[in-house]
Amino acid sequence: MTERRQVNIAKSARTTVFYIFVIGIAAIILLPVYFIISLSFLSTREAYTYPLPLVPALNTHFELRHGERGYLLSVYDRVEGGYESVLDTKDSKKMSEYMRYQLATPVTTEDLEQQFAKLESQDVVRFSRRRNLLENYQSFFRVSGYKAVPALIRSLQICALTIAISLSVGGMAGYAFARYTFRGKNLLKFSTLFVRMFPGVAIAIPMIKILVGLQFYDRPIGLSLVYSIGNIALTVWITASIFMGIPESLEEAAQVFGATKARAFLRITLPLALPGLAAAAMYSFLGAWNETVSAIILTQFNPTFSVIVYQTVLGAVGQVNLAAAGGMAMALPTVIFTFFIRRYIQQMWGGITI
Amino acid sequence: MAVTARRNGKAWRKIGRNAVPYLLVLPVALYYALFWLRPVVASIVASFSDAAGRFTLENFALVFREEDFVPALRNTAIIAGFSVTLEFFVALFLALLINRKFRGSGFFLFLSMIPMALPAAAVGAMWITGLTAHGWMNSLLGYLGILAEGKKLYWLVGSDTKLLATLIVIDAWQVIPSVMIILLAGLQNIPDEVQEAGYVFGGDYLHVLRKITLPLLKPTIQTAVILRMISAIQIWLIIVVLLGFSRLPVLVERVVYYTKEVDRLYIADQMAAGYTLVVAVIVSLAALVYLRASGAFKREGEQFT
Repeated sequence: MTERRQVNIAKSARTTVFYIFVIGIAAIILLPVYFIISLSFLSTREAYTYPLPLVPALNTHFELRHGERGYLLSVYDRVEGGYESVLDTKDSKKMSEYMRYQLATPVTTEDLEQQFAKLESQDVVRFSRRRNLLENYQSFFRVSGYKAVPALIRSLQICALTIAISLSVGGMAGYAFARYTFRGKNLLKFSTLFVRMFPGVAIAIPMIKILVGLQFYDRPIGLSLVYSIGNIALTVWITASIFMGIPESLEEAAQVFGATKARAFLRITLPLALPGLAAAAMYSFLGAWNETVSAIILTQFNPTFSVIVYQTVLGAVGQVNLAAAGGMAMALPTVIFTFFIRRYIQQMWGGITI
Repeated sequence: MAVTARRNGKAWRKIGRNAVPYLLVLPVALYYALFWLRPVVASIVASFSDAAGRFTLENFALVFREEDFVPALRNTAIIAGFSVTLEFFVALFLALLINRKFRGSGFFLFLSMIPMALPAAAVGAMWITGLTAHGWMNSLLGYLGILAEGKKLYWLVGSDTKLLATLIVIDAWQVIPSVMIILLAGLQNIPDEVQEAGYVFGGDYLHVLRKITLPLLKPTIQTAVILRMISAIQIWLIIVVLLGFSRLPVLVERVVYYTKEVDRLYIADQMAAGYTLVVAVIVSLAALVYLRASGAFKREGEQFT
């Protein structure tokens, strides 16, 4: 009895230590992600304080006094633990704008006028207002709005086209690889390596000429043709691996019962492969959605969403929180897809090795 | 008439059956010929051409004489060598951990895959805001009490060695998941019984790992390492995002620099073309040497199912 209890304690102690260890690793991996997410919710003022707040504030605490030029606005600083003066004006519109853009706290001018009125009878007025946590996301789309939304649509078009091209072209070859022996099979396998050996940037330059010739330059189809180069190579491997995981005997059985090879494929193999192929499509999506470098070179007036975000990041000298919001908006679909992809890793990568 | 048609049909069908795999591969071949081989050939031709389009070797002389060439070569070699090694070991460790299939390992797998899914722009923003003197890295270290109050670490200034180390770690953070998933797939392919047999015969964990798991995983390891090596030699974007051009030159950064940044220099295109071929040759040689040395070519006959 005691012995068993001891074993149980030892076991649960080991389990606990193991989980602390695992959580520790997860924390290290996710720490940078946490900070970029947190940053994307900070107000511009908060984003430039040091040390950076660990969590975004839900409310902003204001203090109003009589100032030299009108009313002196102070904001509570959580890090310093006191109020800091930020603006001295009698213009309620100016103050409201400052509150919105710098402090991400919407306060109407009427509201402000009321607070100003209170100053007639007292020296200090303190009040808190709820922060708009999504301010950065909204203003990312507002600032680059005329570009961001069309760019988003273009990016989705490019992704759809890339998936269609690479899954159909690559999938056929992947099937051939999984089911047949033929000459050049090895070459096909190594093609994934070949196409990666030549720097992608270097291909993009001569590609301009080819795309202009096809009248595909600066259009979604043009970029998806470029993205498909690397994507097809990967899709061949991944789809081959998926088809290898589906027993050929199932197809043969269907043929015994009179189905043609094509029919056996369509009715038996394809439905079984579908979840894996969906994962492969999501994997292609990640590549096409995130690609930035070729997109910069191969677009002129019609940038992709990744280019817009990249420009915000590089150009956002005064607005890191805005850049963070853009980056996170872009990361959202990829993270969701990753959640689904994780189940199909073995199917996707288990079949082929060099 | 009908008879010939039928006979023809039969003959065609036979040819058709043999041709099936080739027909299935044909689109890939055509695609590569049109959209990969053509730009590659154009780029190679450009690297042997002067501004007027005549044959010349001058471009390579220009590249080798450039003062940033040797540093670029050195930095690329250091980054590739260290990051592939570091990434491989960490990825293997994570893959082994996840393959223990503990409760929640699926979710842990998802969490550890997240860095891989993030776009370059987001990762750039993440480290720019993290590594400046007033960034979140220093804030965090301050909160944890590791960094004394008022003290700051300057991550992005200092010696080349320090910058290289920082970059290798940052790059590893994003790249490890893509190495890890390949290794994990390989591990999941090894039947449990094989490893259990090792334990039955008295092996401990490390013993089984060394004598059974890793040898069985060898083809997967080669695949993961070669794919990673090819892209590690071509690293540049994160460097430019964090440090700008020319601060820490690497080979592909030079290609981009001469392609995008310098357009007034009349030899810029030639420099870019020259560098491109140098990179391609170095990557191919490195891949070849690795595949040779790791014995991947020897297996070819028997592997390939």
